[in-house]
Amino acid sequence: MGAVSSTSPASALPPPRSEIGVTGWVRANLFSSWHSSLTTVLSIIVLGLVLWFGLRWVFFQADWTVVTTLGGRMIIGQYNTEAACPGQNCFWRPQVAVLMVTALLGMGWGFTSGTITRRLTLGIAVILAAFAFLPYSRESMGWDVRLLLLANLPSLFLGWALARYTPLGSARWIAVLGIAAFLLTLVLLRGLPGIPGMQPVSVIYWGGLMLNLLLALAGIVLCLPLGIALALGRRSNLPVVKLLCIAFIEIFRGVPLITLLFMSQVLVPLAFPENFPQNSLFRAAVVITLFSAAYMAENIRGGLQALRPGQAEAARALGLPGWQTTMFILLPQAIRNVIPAIVGQSISLFKDTTLVYIIGMLDVLEIGRAFIQGNAEYLASAPELLIFLGLVFWIFTYTMSYVSQRGEQELGVGQR
Amino acid sequence: MTGLSRILTYNGIPIWRHIQVIHWVSQVASGVLVVTLVVWFFVNIGNAVRDREIPYGFGFLERAYQTPIGQHFIPYESSDTFLYAFGVAATNTLIVSIVGVVLATGLGIAVGVARLSGNWLLSKAALVYVEFFRNVPLLVQLFFWFYIILALPPVRQGYVIAERLYINNAGFSSPFPAANDTHGTLTWTALAAFAVAAGLLAHRLLLLRETRTRAASYPLALGSATAIILAAIAWLAVGAVFGESPLYLSQPAPQGAFGRISGGLTLSGGLIALLAGLVIYTSSFIAEIVRAGLQSVNRGQVEAARALGLPQLETLRQVTFPQALRVIVPPLISQCLNLTKNSSLAGAIGYSDLFNVARTMTQTAPAVSIFILVMAAYLAMSLTYSLIGNLYNRHIRITGG
Repeated sequence: MGAVSSTSPASALPPPRSEIGVTGWVRANLFSSWHSSLTTVLSIIVLGLVLWFGLRWVFFQADWTVVTTLGGRMIIGQYNTEAACPGQNCFWRPQVAVLMVTALLGMGWGFTSGTITRRLTLGIAVILAAFAFLPYSRESMGWDVRLLLLANLPSLFLGWALARYTPLGSARWIAVLGIAAFLLTLVLLRGLPGIPGMQPVSVIYWGGLMLNLLLALAGIVLCLPLGIALALGRRSNLPVVKLLCIAFIEIFRGVPLITLLFMSQVLVPLAFPENFPQNSLFRAAVVITLFSAAYMAENIRGGLQALRPGQAEAARALGLPGWQTTMFILLPQAIRNVIPAIVGQSISLFKDTTLVYIIGMLDVLEIGRAFIQGNAEYLASAPELLIFLGLVFWIFTYTMSYVSQRGEQELGVGQR
Repeated sequence: MTGLSRILTYNGIPIWRHIQVIHWVSQVASGVLVVTLVVWFFVNIGNAVRDREIPYGFGFLERAYQTPIGQHFIPYESSDTFLYAFGVAATNTLIVSIVGVVLATGLGIAVGVARLSGNWLLSKAALVYVEFFRNVPLLVQLFFWFYIILALPPVRQGYVIAERLYINNAGFSSPFPAANDTHGTLTWTALAAFAVAAGLLAHRLLLLRETRTRAASYPLALGSATAIILAAIAWLAVGAVFGESPLYLSQPAPQGAFGRISGGLTLSGGLIALLAGLVIYTSSFIAEIVRAGLQSVNRGQVEAARALGLPQLETLRQVTFPQALRVIVPPLISQCLNLTKNSSLAGAIGYSDLFNVARTMTQTAPAVSIFILVMAAYLAMSLTYSLIGNLYNRHIRITGG
């Protein structure tokens, strides 16, 4: 046996000052080697220049009046114009639809009672309510508009209370109410003949961000089940079904969306009788959904392929019939595996709603572009408007991807 | 009842419960349903075309198109046929696609690597780049670049750099090699192709020699030297035989009353905006693919390379990247396809791509036929990309031994 020292070991020395704290962090992350130092210096110079010229442009050189001039038109397009809604104010209809959305968001918050959902839903409601204090003149933004905007906050809390204290606070009820709210929104926007205040508004006047959001929502909700069906069909061992699904997926994936949209405008009306009611909004929604479903199918197929065969075998061994194996064992796991891809596809779909300009629909981007083209005095302000629109889209898409990343962490994707 | 169920059996099982029967009936039913729907759709279109006296068929392809095409890379006159104009438009799309794919891949790899850089500032800058450009619709970005170029001074007041480069709101002009004599150029092109093939062969042989003998053989340097020297010899030979060099440098210069730039290579404003938008947008997706690929390489590989004393850049080039390629290539192919398909937005900013020209053609020719051609062209391009990508993927995948 070796000699054992009887004295207690000396306490550990503190790490050198250069390795901890701010100095240590800067050394490790910015100046770890000569090329890292060079990169840092160059980056600081480039970022400094970009910030200096960028901020100077934003605050002193850019002319943002184009954004304020367009104002509400970017949100609802021509919906509230004299042509669309003669002799009436129809602005309250999309606003009530927004109130339903905040109520649903409130229910989502009450149901999950998570920090992210609280921050997110409260944030959205507060921003919407804050629009009530925009310094617009009385004529363009009356007290009724402002009141309905402020009502988003109580609406959120109402939804929260409903989810917390009534049996409505379950995922199934929220889904049912969500679909009901969507259909109600369509009825509300379209109007009902004979009911005072609900004068019908033709879909050709639906526009602005409202149009982008409606198309995106309809597309996202519908393309998921269709995509699942196509993915299952493509993996099916029935040759005819498999062939049809492959043909559908490959044709829709191989052709640009803009071509399909234009074709739907040119060809589809020919396939129906001349007096058949035609609706470009409906056609656009269908085409966007089908296109997106083809991509979604491939994402879900990827998720299904990643599952170990043991899962299906275990389910069969337990005596589950084929459809139950798929519905309760395979699909939930497959979908959880590909949440990032599904959200990515949803973001893409939302961005693709800008392409409806090709069939003459006035989405938010097309309204802005047409305004610039039509008013020569604003031509020089095009970059300002496009940066603003880019930021608007970015806020929506980044929120989607942020929520998905946090949701993934909560579901423990990649950890089990 | 029992009599009936005894008759309606197949291999002793009632047919409504026999799995094979169910499978076949459902398949035939779905097949018939889909075929009926498709046939109904096209028969209706056919009837409408006949009843409303809409022109149809492919006879128009022989007719003169008689519409100018803004930018074209192969010679085009308004008197050329529809078929030729279609080819011109397809070339425009192909060029955007190829140049765009190369630039977007390069930029995407750079940003993806920067994203994983140990330098905090660089990696955060790359993150901001990716998160911004990936999340803003491409059309917004295209319009942005388009209006930026439109804000440049007009042709006559445009910027001129060293009397060689012209930058103005009509686009960007620079000197570019042009053919002197068609035969000489063709001969030299063929010989140059041979030179490149010889260079590749030399590279391959030297690489084999290097792996076999372990003696430094400089395959890359000697291979490219072979190609360049052979091409140069061919250049001189062609110059001697045909009396003039195969290519000369065409200089851009303002001409006429409006000062339009002719000569050299002029990239129209629409094309520059399109390329800028497509490359930046797609590179942000490729950067994420590259990052995911590099992160998928086992940490031990990097640690082992560092332990062997490879510098950081060499570790990336020789160890991490080749292994990451297997993860990167399949999604990269689909991004290249997306870029090609997204180039159909060119019409919005005034570049004559395939879709834009086809859309204009529908005003003077049958829309149905044109769309069949357009869809076939895009599908062919998609399939070609997939094929090349899959071949490359097979080339780099893990093989036994």
